[in-house]
Amino acid sequence: MLNNLIGLTVNGLAMGVVYALIAMGLILLVRAVGVMNFAQGDLFMLGAYLSFTFIVNIKLPYWLFVPASLISFAIVGLIFMAVTYWPLREASYPQAVIIATMGAGYVIKELAYKIWGPVALSMPALVINPETGTTKVLEIFGIKLQWQYVMIIAVCAVLIVLVFMLFEKLYAGRMMQATAQDKYAAELIGIPSVVTIAATYMLVTMVVSIGGYMVAPVFFISATLSSLQLRAFAGVVIGGFGNLKGAIIGSLIVGLIEAYATLQWSSYKDAVVFIVLIIVLIFRPQGLFGEKIADKA
Amino acid sequence: MKPVLRLDTVCKRFGGVIAADNTSFSVLPGEIHGLIGPNGAGKSTLMNLISGIYTCDHGNIYFNEQDITQMPPYERARLGIGRTFQTPRFLQRSNIRDNLLLGTDLSNRFGYTSAFFGKKGDDFESELNKLMQYAGFSFDWDDDISGIPFGQRKLLEIVRSMLAHPKVILVDEPAAGLNNSEVDNVMKLLTVAAKERGIGILLIEHAMDLVMNFCEQIVVINFGKVIASGNPEEVSSNQDVIEAYLGRQRNAQN
Amino acid sequence: MKNFTIKKLKIRPATIIVFVVAMAFILLMPQVNSGYKMLCLNLTLIYAMVALSISIMLGMGGQMTFAGVTMMGVGGYFTANMTSGRLGFAIPTLPALLLAPLFTALVALALGLVLLRLRGTYFTFATIGLVQVAWSFYSMNKPAFGGYDGISGVPKLDLFGFVPADYNQWFYILAGGLVIVALIIERIRKTQFGRSLAAVRDNETAALTLGINVYITKVYAFAVAGAICGFAGALYAMMNRYISADTFTFDVGVRYIIMAMLGGVNNTIGCILGAVLIGMLPEWLRVLQGYMQFIYGIGIILLMIFMPMGLSGVFLTALKRYRKKKKIKLEHRASQTAAEKGEA
Repeated sequence: MLNNLIGLTVNGLAMGVVYALIAMGLILLVRAVGVMNFAQGDLFMLGAYLSFTFIVNIKLPYWLFVPASLISFAIVGLIFMAVTYWPLREASYPQAVIIATMGAGYVIKELAYKIWGPVALSMPALVINPETGTTKVLEIFGIKLQWQYVMIIAVCAVLIVLVFMLFEKLYAGRMMQATAQDKYAAELIGIPSVVTIAATYMLVTMVVSIGGYMVAPVFFISATLSSLQLRAFAGVVIGGFGNLKGAIIGSLIVGLIEAYATLQWSSYKDAVVFIVLIIVLIFRPQGLFGEKIADKA
Repeated sequence: MKPVLRLDTVCKRFGGVIAADNTSFSVLPGEIHGLIGPNGAGKSTLMNLISGIYTCDHGNIYFNEQDITQMPPYERARLGIGRTFQTPRFLQRSNIRDNLLLGTDLSNRFGYTSAFFGKKGDDFESELNKLMQYAGFSFDWDDDISGIPFGQRKLLEIVRSMLAHPKVILVDEPAAGLNNSEVDNVMKLLTVAAKERGIGILLIEHAMDLVMNFCEQIVVINFGKVIASGNPEEVSSNQDVIEAYLGRQRNAQN
Repeated sequence: MKNFTIKKLKIRPATIIVFVVAMAFILLMPQVNSGYKMLCLNLTLIYAMVALSISIMLGMGGQMTFAGVTMMGVGGYFTANMTSGRLGFAIPTLPALLLAPLFTALVALALGLVLLRLRGTYFTFATIGLVQVAWSFYSMNKPAFGGYDGISGVPKLDLFGFVPADYNQWFYILAGGLVIVALIIERIRKTQFGRSLAAVRDNETAALTLGINVYITKVYAFAVAGAICGFAGALYAMMNRYISADTFTFDVGVRYIIMAMLGGVNNTIGCILGAVLIGMLPEWLRVLQGYMQFIYGIGIILLMIFMPMGLSGVFLTALKRYRKKKKIKLEHRASQTAAEKGEA
């Protein structure tokens, strides 16, 4: 029972950190350009597909794979910005940009379908058991853990800390904040808004795509990967909308709830997550870590 | 005469800022009552407290001697507290007809079901024609509200609030951004409202000459506190007021 | 000084054109299509109803909601349960069709009372949560929703003895239903309720000071939208004779929003047009079928860039410009004749 519980906790944390990566990306975009990105899950999926191509199709060695994939993720981010944000930045209708991201989601899904085909692809795990060819199992004190989950937690946790430091503690983050709050004023003090916004988009896509790459061996790579963004939405809302720390903790909570829910209501684990979301919204709409927003008349 | 609107030791603070500090005054029916004070003195907060957008921390608000302190804003509006805004708030994507009907809806609430089956509000065309005489311009029903100039929109908002047959109207800086003839029309409308219809008017305005000429009673607030009240002569000769408000203006002019 | 009167009824050329085109569409389509194409067309009409329900919430009331797809499920499953006899009893189809919107409206009312305590984006997120929760139950719960297998054996609608034999006959029933829904929405737009909703959309504070109970207005709108979705769901269940959870996923919900946005979210004809485009384009452009999602995606982005108010927005702007021009011309002519008279 205890073993089982620890196993579930590791699974939950692993999924939690992946959701956290997606959620952080969402928050950063909301902060930088005020856009809720409904194609975030599709970018996530695209990351998994691209890594698959680099590793399985082209068979790049790791020292080449890392820079190549990062650069391609950044380029995807730039294109995404150029299409969904740049032409719409002056839009008078706030919903327009959101709907545009939905449209972009369609395009990415269809592109992936056309390029990689309808069959779900299986990605080799990071640490492979040479005998079975599947992910190696790590055994500590009699507790069996999949290496992939451990790797996910390690890599994503490092990424989360890096992004968090970059945006909350360093100058770069303050620049982006400044740009988000007042583009004109930011440009006056010498922060070029184009550059910061582009940088945000690239960084967000990179982070999200790495999440996709890490999670790919656990699931098969297919269009359904994009639906993980809904869990990240849940994490964002539970943690407190617009707040990086809240989004991270909220996403971890979502991952854990999901994992523990399999104990009791395995087939309703989705429902459990979103019921928690609705309950949190109703009793604490500002989220667990958000500050109460005063009504403005 | 019974006051139509009475504030009794109303308090409101936002964090450390005291926006209303034991504020008490009352507005009589048919009276144009000025509410003045320097920027940030808490005038708009008082408006929001009276119309119910904010709730009082302490103290009571009475409408015709009925305690409305806990009443939600829409019920206050239905009782007869009308309001206009500094920048007029209309349905941006609708025509003028719908926008004005929004005013009459207030005095003719008959439930959504009966509205659906074609029940109409009382005949407001003659009323509107009368009011538009004072407003001094005309328009086409089907025009978009965004197509008419700012000044006319402000006038139209006052007309809309009068169409609802209120007992008291809170008017927030009606003259700001208007040209002279439009200001005249605003004042004509407000005078008609007060003198012919007996509506109490609470007027926030920065243009001193307007306030001094049109208001019978004036209450001056600063830092949320009432520092003076009375008729224009009393107020303008009050030492506190001169210091806090008028004085500074005179200095600036010198 | 000009006098203001509310014209009782004014039929404009544009209205007549829309009416004629709609009639021609309804009469012609079943003549030239049949079988699978007709099924697609019929589904499109059902989609249009859901898109119209979104037009109430988002277009009139400014509340972005994904819940339409879930409410359609409520109506659909209600009908399937009531009429298929799987619960041990079966009621006739016509009462079921009328009860479904009522039941869905009640469900929506209850949900709305809870969810609409949230505002703006928070409400939108809550509806996303609702869609996910409902979908889990639809796809997992066997007693109430048939689980993964769904519910089959839903009888066809019996409309006072008229039982549609094929999709072509269904088309008339669905078109009739859609016209009723469209008329209801057009009516709402012109009533106190519609104006209240518009006021809520544009500025909640101003709406409050105009005596509008913002919260209850939104809840009513949610219930009315729910009723329309429930009606659509009931018709869907009866036409398809089978209902399963795949029809009520979040992705499908996004599609309904896109339909509404494509045509113009605050415009009845626009919403229907959007649904027809999204529903029928893959059929009409068979050659490009493999790229349909792609075309949609790019189309949506382009649309948002160049005409965020949707197709109807472009049309209405053009129409207004034309009317203004005409008016100026008329006034000009009037002043000319007046001047001529003066000279004479």
